This record gives sequence, structure tokens and C-alpha cells, in this order.
Amino acid sequence: MSKVPSILNATEEDIQLLLSATCHIGAKNLNVQMLPYVHKRRPDGVHIINVGKTWEKLTFAARIICAIENPADVVVISARPYGQRAVLKYASYTGALPIAGRFTPGTFTNYITRSFKEPRLIIVTDPKSDQQAINEASYVNIPVIALADTDSPLKFVDVSIPTNNKAKHSIGLIYWMLAREVLRLRATIPREIPWSVMVDMFFYRDPEEAEKDAETAVTTTAAPEKGFSSFEPGNWDEGATDWGAEGPGAVSGINPALAATAKDVGGSSWDTPMEPAPPAPPAPVEETGGGGSWETPADDAGGWGDTTTTTTTAFNDGLETTTTFETTIRTTTGGSWADEPAENPSSGWD
Amino acid sequence: MADSAPADSRGVKENKIRTIEEIYLFSLPIKEYQIVDRFFGTALKDEVMKIMPVQKQTRAGQRTRFKAFVVIGDSNGHVGLGVKCSKEVATAIRGAIILAKLSVIPVRRGYWGSSLGEPHTVPGKVTGRCGSVICRLVPAPRGTGIVAAPTPKKLLQLAGITDCYTTSRGSTRTLGNFVKATFAAIGNTYGFLTPDLWKNTEFKQSPYQEFSDILAVCKIDMVYVLSSKYLIINSNFLRSNRRPPIRGGVKHLILIIHEGRWFKRSNNHCVSLK
Repeated sequence: MSKVPSILNATEEDIQLLLSATCHIGAKNLNVQMLPYVHKRRPDGVHIINVGKTWEKLTFAARIICAIENPADVVVISARPYGQRAVLKYASYTGALPIAGRFTPGTFTNYITRSFKEPRLIIVTDPKSDQQAINEASYVNIPVIALADTDSPLKFVDVSIPTNNKAKHSIGLIYWMLAREVLRLRATIPREIPWSVMVDMFFYRDPEEAEKDAETAVTTTAAPEKGFSSFEPGNWDEGATDWGAEGPGAVSGINPALAATAKDVGGSSWDTPMEPAPPAPPAPVEETGGGGSWETPADDAGGWGDTTTTTTTAFNDGLETTTTFETTIRTTTGGSWADEPAENPSSGWD
Repeated sequence: MADSAPADSRGVKENKIRTIEEIYLFSLPIKEYQIVDRFFGTALKDEVMKIMPVQKQTRAGQRTRFKAFVVIGDSNGHVGLGVKCSKEVATAIRGAIILAKLSVIPVRRGYWGSSLGEPHTVPGKVTGRCGSVICRLVPAPRGTGIVAAPTPKKLLQLAGITDCYTTSRGSTRTLGNFVKATFAAIGNTYGFLTPDLWKNTEFKQSPYQEFSDILAVCKIDMVYVLSSKYLIINSNFLRSNRRPPIRGGVKHLILIIHEGRWFKRSNNHCVSLK
């Protein structure tokens, strides 16, 4: 392998982190170009990535990123939700520009776009889903660093960091390590001391998980207050208001959620047979029960109480409009043919 | 034009990039035709090769548009080819000229025999193809002139190739393909590795890297004083700010300062503070 100063070698801890985040677990499919990074194929079909090589490519990528003078010339991209948080955190710590979520086509090639960017380098979470970005980079001389799994296509990818890009811990960890390495190489952070930022900041959080976390945070702060107010008889009113204030949090934190789901379940069982649900509950039940006995089959989505006369008029309107359309077109084409000068060779169409 | 533009044209505007050769050296894409105008001025001559009416069938008859093929060149080593379709002939030609300027390519010329005087012919046998048409350019001795059909002849003249034999094959009547095939062949002159290019090249820094500090700063070219809440800051402040510098795509920059802290910026003319 390349001659790299020993300080950039992987430590025990680094390898342990990589393994515990399952960075070494590849996919069942293998792209030929990823073959050098694969250690072995397990009997169940999964490929194991050589984590030592992961580390080497990681430091390689970090050195390339540092070589760009202006940190804002690096763009980090993730279309998939698992990588979005990691990408945003990476960008905030290293000064790069993140593109999380949809990559507007034309971002690199169309200078009129609002999101027009001209990076010197891009880092991509998944070559398969961030394909649009990689493709555009190929038009504008932008090198690409990608977190590549064993089944990732490496077309137009210049540096691939072999890793698992399916698991959220794995993606988060790689970005955390990259950020750390870049900051260390720039000498923003010392190498001996572990980085103060936790890896967890880079992990993807489910929206429900995030909500639950927020709620538990409120619960823990609310609990001591509750204890105080309940013991004082004179403060019943205050206690009541306290309860009211922390209603959404505290014990009732669970209830709204449950209530909502209960409502949904109850509601859906009532509502699903008649999807465009009209406001009045008794009427729909009857109508669906009737099975369209007094309504024409054509009137499926339409008026619940409407008569069938509407359909025929709708058709008539359609016909009328088409005829007017035709007449207008004819006049314009006639005009344009006559206008054009004789420089057209006689092609015999008039 | 320049400030909303890609780094390429900003480099040109500020005279950092002096010749078009520097752009070619790094394969930088040219997005604005004014860049080409700036380098060549009046030297570029354009020639409309053909106006071809094309039709599309609609339920109300045919919809015709005009496809214009324009070749542009300075007769001294640069050619461009542009194809544009439009409802009116004039618009098509104008559009095609712009596209031709954007596609200007350098032409490598060489010698047939002794390297006496200026290069006058193609450096070697090159070929280009498009569709079914193959066009082959073969070096010719001085004084031969361009031995070709009228279509590629025009292109080669504008390229600055004085002597050339050609061979073509395929449906050369489809002018679109024929002209594109010759253009491809001319383009291949610089894509061919000849022994005199065997020496190691010393790599230069690309303009993006060389001028990255200048490109990082965006220009503020309009001053709006709409209310006391709007202030304009010059670019040095932007750089010193902890936030990453604003790059590319900014036409008019308005910064809104509130109590000395930068908290909103806008790319538009009219900005309302809520």
C-alpha cells in the first residue's frame, strides 16, 4: 500500500468502532470493482469488507479534502435519510456545503439554478441513490469521493471508501471519522485527545424517536415540580394549572399518542369503505350499504347526492372546446407557412 | 452577466484567464458565449450551413420549425459547430451561433512532409463519425488545398486547415451528421498522441485552484438603501465572518445587519424584512 506516516495508522479503538458500527458488513451482491476491498464472502452470501482498507481510504480521502484551500468548495451529498443528518453535521464541523435530500438536477451544470454550486470536490453517501450528483460532476470536472458498499457502481467515482452504506450507525461513524480526520489534518483538533463531539450526533434519528426523546426530556424536568405542588392543599389551583401546563408532557405524554392512534384506528374502520368521506356520518353508511343501488355506476367519486344529468353535460362541454381549439390552430399554421421567405428549398409541402 | 456566472467567466472577466488555451488545458466547460467573444472579438466568422425545416404532426396539421446549422471559426485553429431549432429562422440562426461559440474547439495542425514554415495540414490521419457518416481527414502536401465536399470544406476552411484530403462514407446527404462527423474528426486532432508529445508535462494548477481565493469572494455590485435596517458590507467582511463564504450564482447581494450581526442575506432585488 502507499507509504503513509505511521501516525495515520488505525488505532485499536478506531477498528473497534468500525466493527461495532458494522462497517465491515457488505452486501450480498458484489461489484467487480469493489473486489480488492472485500475480505471474504460468508456462507450466507454476505461479503465482508476489509476494515483496514476502509481506514486507509478514509485517511486518503481526508488528505484530499484538506488539499482544497477553501473548505466551502467541498459539497457533501446524501439523498437517503440515513445519511442526511451525518452530512449536515459533517458540513457544520468542517465548513463544507451540505446537500441533504433531493439533489436538484442542474445544480452543477445550470448556472441559472438557485442552488447552483461549483464545488472542487464532492463527497457522496451512496453512488446508487446520489447518481444524479455524480453524473453532473462528470460534466464539470469535479472529482468524487464516495462511501461505496460492495454492490455500489463506481462509474465516475474517483475515490471510494469501502464501507457499509446501508446501516445508519455505519454511515454516521464514517462521516464522524472523516470529519475528525480532516480537522486533525488541518490541526484544528489535537490528535492525542479524543474528539469532544460524540459519534451519536452523526447518527440518523427517526422522527418518532426524536419526538420521544423530546417528550422524555420534558418529563424529567416536570417530575420534581409535580411532587411539590401536590402536597400543599392551599395550592390546589396552582397545582391544577401546573397540570394543565405540563399536560402534553409528563404522564399524559403517552396518552395523546395513544389517544391519537386509538382515534385513527376507530376512525379508519369507519371511514375507509367510503374514502371521499362526507361530513355526515349516518348517510355514508347507508350509501355504501346500498352498493350504488340508486346511483349510476359512472358516478363513483363524484356527487353523493347529485343526479346523473351532470355527466352528459360534461361530455358536451368537452366536444365544444375541442372544436374551438382546432380552428385556432389552423389559422396560425396557415400564416406561418405563407410568411417564410423563399430561401426554403421547394420541399413540396403547401 | 459575469457575477451570476460560473467561475470560468468570472476568471475571464477579471482577466485572470488570458487566453482560451488556458481553458482548453483544463477542459473547463464554457457556459457563456460572451467568454468566447471576449477572446476572439471579430476574428470569428460564422457561416450558416443549412436551414432545414422539420415538422411535427399535430391533430391540427403540421407544426414546422427550422433547424439551423452554423459553423463558426477564426481560420486560425479554432472551430465551433452549433445546431439550433426554433419556430423562426432568425431565432434559430441566432441560437445556433451562440451554441457554436460555446462549442469552439482547438484544431491541431501539422505538416505533410518537412516542417518548413507554418503548419498547414492535419497532423495525421484522423476520423470522426456521427450516425452513419464517417469522415476521414488525411494530410496533404502544401498547395493541395482542401479536397472535400462543399460541407466539410467550409468547416475545414474556417478551422484554418489549408491542405487536406478527405474521404467520407455513409449517408453524407444528411448534412447534420456529415458536419458533426467532420467536427468530431477535427476535434480528434488534439486527441491523438504523437511522438513529439511523449515528453512529460509539468502540471499547472487549474484556474479553480489558482484563483480559489478570488473566486471565493463574491462581488457586491448594487447598493440598496431601503430602510435603516439594510446595510451593505464589502467583501472583506464576508471573508472574515465565521460562516463559509458565499460562492457563485449571486447577482445582487444584500446583507441585512441587525445589531452588528449578519443574519440574513438575499440574492434578489427586492427584499422585504418580513
